[in-house]
Amino acid sequence: MSESPDESAQSAFNHPVSRRGFLKYFLLGISTVATAGGVLTPIIAYLWPPKQAAAAGGGPVAVGATSDLPVGKGHVYSVANKPVLVIHTEDGFKALSAVCTHLGCIVYWSEERAVIACPCHAAYFSINGDVISGPPPSPLPTYQVQVQGDQIYVQGG
Amino acid sequence: MQAKPRASWWTRVGDWLDERFDVRIPLQAFLKKPVPKHAIKWYFCLGGITFALFAIQGITGILLSLYYKPTPNEAYESILFIMNNVRFGWLIRGLHHWSASLMIAFCVAHMLRVYITGAYKKPRELNWVAGVTLLLLTLAFGFTGYLLPWDQKALWGSTVGSEILGVVPLVGKALLGLLRAGADITGLTLTRFYGIHMLVLPLLAFLFLGVHFIIIRRQGISGPL
Repeated sequence: MSESPDESAQSAFNHPVSRRGFLKYFLLGISTVATAGGVLTPIIAYLWPPKQAAAAGGGPVAVGATSDLPVGKGHVYSVANKPVLVIHTEDGFKALSAVCTHLGCIVYWSEERAVIACPCHAAYFSINGDVISGPPPSPLPTYQVQVQGDQIYVQGG
Repeated sequence: MQAKPRASWWTRVGDWLDERFDVRIPLQAFLKKPVPKHAIKWYFCLGGITFALFAIQGITGILLSLYYKPTPNEAYESILFIMNNVRFGWLIRGLHHWSASLMIAFCVAHMLRVYITGAYKKPRELNWVAGVTLLLLTLAFGFTGYLLPWDQKALWGSTVGSEILGVVPLVGKALLGLLRAGADITGLTLTRFYGIHMLVLPLLAFLFLGVHFIIIRRQGISGPL
């Protein structure tokens, strides 16, 4: 085996990667990563959960008219992409997170028993969100709610 | 005195597979065809470009199907949602829109190249037939996809386009009813076109592309002029 002077010089230093090889893989690697990134970034961003129409800056969000929610009724509205249970009590409107603190089911207002109930594991919350019975580890967070004109506004965020 | 360099990892993966399936030689015979000198010209790339556009249509089409809703009440809204709310939705839909038009253009350009170089002649008649079938499938893709945005242009474009089928002698009205799923374009037409666009045509396209490619590899590229 006759080696050219270049090669013998290289083997003397015992470099596993030649300068040419390094440049080749370096440039090939950069271009491959850049191309893959340029293609994959829009695709992954596209698959990411898209932004839904929501109130900007977490301000009050109009959820409905007061006439749609008579005294004693409750309804779950979407406020800034989060389900919020709004209940019309005799003392006015109450708004609470509708996500059960146990395993995340959506709770509902049980009109006849006047409690908030979770359909999944028989949890009950009081009108203030405190746990009455069942497995939830903590009370339901509450939201500020106000009425302007005939519209119900819930403070999002 | 250097030791024999270790084979690259893909060579070793290939060796591993070849040891078990004995596929290297038959696959090489199929995949490693040198391109003849007379065919190293840009206008011999038109078919390959058409296929590249088809691949783009496949990928962007799958992505669009994740947000598109093929119902009369929601179709147009879901297009607006893709354009305004989905990240890079404008890009994916734009790619699908422009590649669709370009695919038809390149398909026709490829056909002209084959015609001008006489590549359709014996023994390649059936590959011409497969190619024309692929052109018709591409046009069918375009026609069914045109309705899906469900805006005024889509509705009237599809109305006028499908009307042509109605003038076929004797069976025209029946065919038109079959295509539209009724007397005019309704939500039933939308889901029908959606199913054809998303399932029927892709399956047929894959079938005829496979035939097209196997024949070209079996027969080779036609000789110089």
